[in-house]
Amino acid sequence: MNCTDCLERLDQYVDRELTDEELDQVRRHLADCPPCEDLFRLKMNMRRVVKVCCDQGVAPEALRSRLRQILY
Amino acid sequence: MVLVAEPAADTNRGDSFVEEAIAHLDTLYRGALRLTRDPARAEDLVQDTYVRALRYQNSYQAGTNMKAWLFAIMRNLFWDRFKGGRPEDVSLDGDSQFALYDTLKDPSAMPEADVLDRIAAEEVVKAVEQLPELHREVVLLVDVEGFSYKDAAEVLGVPIGTVMSRLHRARRQLQKLLYDYAQESGIVHSKEEGA
Repeated sequence: MNCTDCLERLDQYVDRELTDEELDQVRRHLADCPPCEDLFRLKMNMRRVVKVCCDQGVAPEALRSRLRQILY
Repeated sequence: MVLVAEPAADTNRGDSFVEEAIAHLDTLYRGALRLTRDPARAEDLVQDTYVRALRYQNSYQAGTNMKAWLFAIMRNLFWDRFKGGRPEDVSLDGDSQFALYDTLKDPSAMPEADVLDRIAAEEVVKAVEQLPELHREVVLLVDVEGFSYKDAAEVLGVPIGTVMSRLHRARRQLQKLLYDYAQESGIVHSKEEGA
């Protein structure tokens, strides 16, 4: 696998959307290619940071009680 | 994910349906907040999503992905109500601005991975909220909620390839927004300055 092939599959690699065979090919390329490995780390970190930052906070209690009244 | 069933009214089934649906309230509210960028609108959107979900509960197949089903209802309501209709599969996917950014291949535009950890959470949220809606919603589904491409495609009513291309562009744009912020706020210095 060359860098172009690897970069094309990097999002899918990060998102665990590749077949086992493709996953293995990307993993082996990353082990031998520091620039692609850097980009992989950046993408992984970005996905983690976006999740952590956007996944905070709860629904207002007033909304919860209003919904319970409406739905039951 | 198509809402076609008759309105339902089986009480026992209804109660367990509501319990299961309510369990996703916090998640749905956070999603609504990111979509509308306004707490009052987010509350309205979530409330209307639940009312509609209850009304069409017969079209939900027990044991399937309730969260995805609720997100699909909410997302459609959002576009109908706040954006004047659901989006066609449009020009954004060929957006030349991002294509240009992709072709720059400028190594100084790529932040070190650990820079992201030094950016405050609210700045990350702000960057996500600056994305165009079509890009923002796919980031919400895949990055925040952890949906597979297939589930995200069903929620959005688009092919998996469209999910992938929107996600790729959204992430490139986020990367740029966060890197620009990191530079402006002095978290990183541009490589030219440092050289």
